[in-house]
Amino acid sequence: MLELSPHLRSQGRRSRSLLKSTPLIGLAALCSLLIGCGQDASTVARSDKPVSGGTLVYATDREPTCLDPHVSGDMPQVFIGQQYLDSLVSMDEQGQIGPWLAKSWEVSADGLVYTFHLRNDVHFTDGTPFNAAAVKANLDHMANPKTQSSTAGGYIRQYRSTEVLDDYTAVVHLATPYAAFLEVLAQGFLGIESPTALLRSRDQNCESPVGSGPFKIVKWDRQSQVELVRNPDYNWAPPTARHQGPAWLERIVWKFIQEPSVRFASLQAGEVDVIEALPPESHEAARRNPDLTMLVALRPGNPTNGTLNITRAPFDNVNVREAFVRSADVEGALKSVYFNEFPRAGGALSSATRFYSPDFEHAQDYDQGRAAQLLDESGWTGRDAEGYRTRDGKRLQVHVVIGNRTPPSELTLWEQVQATTRKAGFELLIEQMSDVLATQRQADWDYDIRVGYWNTNTADVLRIVFGSEFVQPAGVGGYHQNTAGFASPQFDAINQQALATQDPEQRRALYYKTQQIASQQYLQLTTYPQSSRLGIYKTTQGVRLEPSLAVTYLYDAWVNK
Amino acid sequence: MSELTFDTVLPAVRVQRTASRVRPGPLLAVTFLAFLIIAALVPQLFAHSDPLAIVPHDAFHPPGWAHWFGTDQSGRDIFSRVIYGTRQSLFIGLAATALAMGIAIVLGLLGGLGGAYLDRGVGWLLEILFAFPSLVLALLFVAIFGSGVGPLIVATGLGGAPGYARMVRGQVLAVRNAGYIEAAVALGHPTRRIILRQLLPNAMRPLIVTLTMGVGQAIVWASALSFLGLGAPPPAPEWGTMLSMGRDFVANAWWLTFFPGLFIVLTTLSTTVAGRYLQQRLEGRLS
Amino acid sequence: MSAITYSNPRHERLTRLARRAAWRLAGGVLVLWAVATLTFFALHLMPGDPVLAILGGASGNPTAETIAEATREFGLDKPLAVQYALYLGRLLQGDLGMSYSQHLPVTRVLAEQSWATLQLTFSALALAWLLVLALTVLTAGRGRWVSSLASLAETLAAALPHFWLGILLLAVFAFGLRWFPPAGSDGWRTLVLPAVALAIPLAGFIAQVTRESLELTLEQPFVLTARTRGLSDTAVRFKHALRHAVLPGISLSGWAIGALISGAVVIEVIFSRKGLGRQLYQAVQAQDLPLTIGISLAVAAVYVLANIVIDLLYLWIDPRQQGKTA
Repeated sequence: MLELSPHLRSQGRRSRSLLKSTPLIGLAALCSLLIGCGQDASTVARSDKPVSGGTLVYATDREPTCLDPHVSGDMPQVFIGQQYLDSLVSMDEQGQIGPWLAKSWEVSADGLVYTFHLRNDVHFTDGTPFNAAAVKANLDHMANPKTQSSTAGGYIRQYRSTEVLDDYTAVVHLATPYAAFLEVLAQGFLGIESPTALLRSRDQNCESPVGSGPFKIVKWDRQSQVELVRNPDYNWAPPTARHQGPAWLERIVWKFIQEPSVRFASLQAGEVDVIEALPPESHEAARRNPDLTMLVALRPGNPTNGTLNITRAPFDNVNVREAFVRSADVEGALKSVYFNEFPRAGGALSSATRFYSPDFEHAQDYDQGRAAQLLDESGWTGRDAEGYRTRDGKRLQVHVVIGNRTPPSELTLWEQVQATTRKAGFELLIEQMSDVLATQRQADWDYDIRVGYWNTNTADVLRIVFGSEFVQPAGVGGYHQNTAGFASPQFDAINQQALATQDPEQRRALYYKTQQIASQQYLQLTTYPQSSRLGIYKTTQGVRLEPSLAVTYLYDAWVNK
Repeated sequence: MSELTFDTVLPAVRVQRTASRVRPGPLLAVTFLAFLIIAALVPQLFAHSDPLAIVPHDAFHPPGWAHWFGTDQSGRDIFSRVIYGTRQSLFIGLAATALAMGIAIVLGLLGGLGGAYLDRGVGWLLEILFAFPSLVLALLFVAIFGSGVGPLIVATGLGGAPGYARMVRGQVLAVRNAGYIEAAVALGHPTRRIILRQLLPNAMRPLIVTLTMGVGQAIVWASALSFLGLGAPPPAPEWGTMLSMGRDFVANAWWLTFFPGLFIVLTTLSTTVAGRYLQQRLEGRLS
Repeated sequence: MSAITYSNPRHERLTRLARRAAWRLAGGVLVLWAVATLTFFALHLMPGDPVLAILGGASGNPTAETIAEATREFGLDKPLAVQYALYLGRLLQGDLGMSYSQHLPVTRVLAEQSWATLQLTFSALALAWLLVLALTVLTAGRGRWVSSLASLAETLAAALPHFWLGILLLAVFAFGLRWFPPAGSDGWRTLVLPAVALAIPLAGFIAQVTRESLELTLEQPFVLTARTRGLSDTAVRFKHALRHAVLPGISLSGWAIGALISGAVVIEVIFSRKGLGRQLYQAVQAQDLPLTIGISLAVAAVYVLANIVIDLLYLWIDPRQQGKTA
């Protein structure tokens, strides 16, 4: 059962076979002749009816540093969080907001007051009842600087306070209108935790957070796995779920396997039932394997990119920026390093984002001629002995700052960018360093390109990535989300207008403008959209990627072992 | 991975009485080492492609006539990269061993000649350095000073230095009471001249063999550090780095990992066999 | 008249061993102190602000208050000498501090991760010795052909880099043949491939040394005597010659444990096993000061202890060593 997200684009396949593992095949053949070892020959019957009970083994690549997604907030956290937390509202495939823990809501005319009417039959797995006080506790927790919430806290900067009108009515007050508020509330990052649990220390809550979701956390075995069990009282699934009531699975074992080849091999051997971050080099093998199904969905937000620092030379000139972007052969890299499994992201928004416009897909197409022309026009006409362009004796140098935990394929992609931009005369210096040093360089604005991405379910992401208020560091640490340094009052105004209206058509028109500006200014070299790629073994069915962020959703899954 | 202790290796080796016969093992080893040295000096002789040239359309070609060792994920010819990598790896191995030996000589001389307290002090310092497994020591060093070829050489050298220092100290102690040293002292030669001209050369001669094998070990150590991403950064054609970049694709394209590793093995094998042979010849000459 | 004192040789031997053990332990403690000091000061030279490392690195968004609090919590605002004194004090109480990257006490991280690495290290050592004994005892001194072939196998094994061997084993036996699981830290089946990857090169080393030693021993006069007394060849090899021949190998085993721990860093990464090795590597990458120091200390402690044990074992096994001092 292959579920295709509507946002998935068809990929061109490589005709040439990549499975040149002749020695391995030879050995395997020999082995199976002699001993009949290897794969289990019995085929598991696929039942279309969900089966209650059983354990699902899930393997992901990165281990979170904290299980509470309010703290910091990165993808590994929200993936686990989605299984044991519920959100206030839900978001469906079309981007419409629906009820979840909140049955209904009203937004005031000025967009500053949100009144939520909550369900009265929900309780957390530690017995605490869910009510307006819980909502207040959670929002306050995210906004509290002590929680050090980058993601959730960053999303609710406009939050002022919550008023508990009665047990099941919570009134949220914002400082400025924020049309994306409901969208971010649908994300797992802002999942609702038990207020009793939130009273504990941050580290305690990181280790064993408590939610109201279909599963609850039992134990976190560091560097190895997290164990979750079914919440038997669960009866408040969102309308986007496939069933109601307790989950089918009895138990989930959430393992951490960093090495991509090892992760995939574990899936093929049936040692794990579902893997995440299915490596692109294994897509072909997964497709050919009748025991496996693939589930791929692009994530909304700002795609993987190299953001250009426009506050200093050489990228303070938009023509040079365009020349750089045009001279980078990203398609070639995607074909080789990523086996043509990733589409090219041409604009500032991923195609899975609501209000995405396809008009900007070709603004970054590979064109060495245009790059040369632009560089000539910008005065970079000299060439030094090694072929790099110069102007007034200075070489056209670009420094790329990359963290040392970047996967090798990403590095190889940038190596290829290095080689192709060299033809236009750019000297690309790839500098790998520890995350701490990278943050330092970022804080000092001492870089020309910073590699990154931003997964979120709203087009408002462009305000965060390119808005002038995010140029200033949020804290003393110096980290600033706007790595381009782009500060345009016109751009900011359009974003504010989009936040002030709830009308989707108006928002679409406004976000079209923001995408256009970002594209015309060549603020980023976008490479490929982020995606959730699951490999599923034949024992497991019903695994889904939930619609808001394309995060794994195991509530509707069952195993048949 | 080896810090062959002097006392365990040397006495256990037996003298070959039929040393005059040409044996295939050492011959092959020396030939391979010669090939490596030539490859390091003049890689263009063997490698016909640019090791850094990216040809994405040619990615992941299996070994064949056009590409003897196949191509990697960016379409680069692996054989060329392995050949060019020889220069990197040999350079790192030799530099690290030289550094290790330098430190070892200083410490060994201090310990062997410096009198009881200095000897104790040096012994104690060695104990501390020995308390760390080599890779842990190297990791700490890289953590402080960052990654790259320079720190890689120093880290590898530091890892090997304690072992050599112990050997040098032992040798110095053994040699300083020899007759010719006594004679030189009695004749009134300046101390520095005695040390440089007579003590050191005689102390070090038995260690030549250990050094030869040590270069092979240093190459493995440096490759291990590069494999962990702490050495020569990509796209450098260093063998350890190539292994690391290739290991994600081992199920699809085993040749990315196999051939650089093979060269590491052959280099280590050659240095070991050549070193052993050298040792046996020296033993034969001395006895 | 002088009284005749009957000395009990066994008792004497034990007391000598005990005294030596005590002396070595004291020395070991001193070494550990020096190690802790060295690591502490060395790691403070690391570039980059540790506060940022604690507060979430790249995606952190710390406010001034949070930074102040973190600085207080981890004592980073005091002068270096004071920090060092505090650090030593805590060390004596068994408190190794708080890991920046995991927000857990370092002692807890050590407790959770040590067992897997110890399992791996000792299995590899045991396996290596098994291979060594089998190979050398069966093939030593049996004629030039057998000897040369075995010698070649040993040299080849010793030349294999363990990271390369690990990847190959993984590719063939886990990915290809599916005999063993490719990842994991629980159960004996996940231990096999990692242990083999470490054991083979080590076995090569120890075997080389043991073989030479065994061949030398087999030529000793006492062996000839044993043979003339009618003992079978196997009995001679095992009972008499081996005891003398393994001495250099045992002495190497002390170093071997260090090499195995080093190897464990890479092997745990390749096989996705939990353990101190991988943890150390990640701690270094994340510039997690307390965790790096904690693991280095733990490793050094194990290594020093292991060497002391090996040293005593050496004394115990070799009757000739009894009279000698350090």
